[in-house]
Amino acid sequence: MTTSEGPSDLDRAARRAVLIDGTPVVLLGGVALTLGSTTDPARRGLWIAATVAFTLSVVWVVYRAFRRADEYQRKIQLESMAVSFAVVLVALQVAGSLDAAGIGDLRQYFQLIVVGGTLSWLLLADLRTRLSR
Amino acid sequence: MRNRLRELRAARRWSQAELASRCGVSRQTINAIEAGRYDPSLPLAFTFADVFDEPIEAIFRPEGRAVPDGGDVTGATGA
Repeated sequence: MTTSEGPSDLDRAARRAVLIDGTPVVLLGGVALTLGSTTDPARRGLWIAATVAFTLSVVWVVYRAFRRADEYQRKIQLESMAVSFAVVLVALQVAGSLDAAGIGDLRQYFQLIVVGGTLSWLLLADLRTRLSR
Repeated sequence: MRNRLRELRAARRWSQAELASRCGVSRQTINAIEAGRYDPSLPLAFTFADVFDEPIEAIFRPEGRAVPDGGDVTGATGA
């Protein structure tokens, strides 16, 4: 049985596209983080602009990757997204309750939940597609 | 849904990557379909039929139904 482990043309093109799309986004993220860590108020506008540009570019890259994916990969991504969305909803509920009880800071919880939700989405999608590699 | 993808591909000595390239999908998708973890859409099933030059019903068969022409429809349970 011939079951080469090499990627198909579509796989190679997708990896190349993610690299091409992702590199400027990572650089933009680095710039936003650097600007955010300075205490100079004059750079606040720059930091906000870089953060907004970074967020929009992440959305754009994810959208392009989703459009590029085939039907099976889209199904995996959507299922992972649905599970992560449920996790985020529950986590937000817990964070709201904790904040109402005077435990912790809701703004910090929110940052953690957003990052955690994104990571759980990527992790779930990776684990599911790992079974088919 | 059961399928004969692995058998038809082996008969043509194609790798999963080669079949994936011919069908315009990823190798993961071919692997998932062969393993019975995913049932393809109708357009993709037609693409398989074109690529293998076989009718769809000779490649895909509902679970538990016999193959009339004696072909062996292999594959695990549908996703």
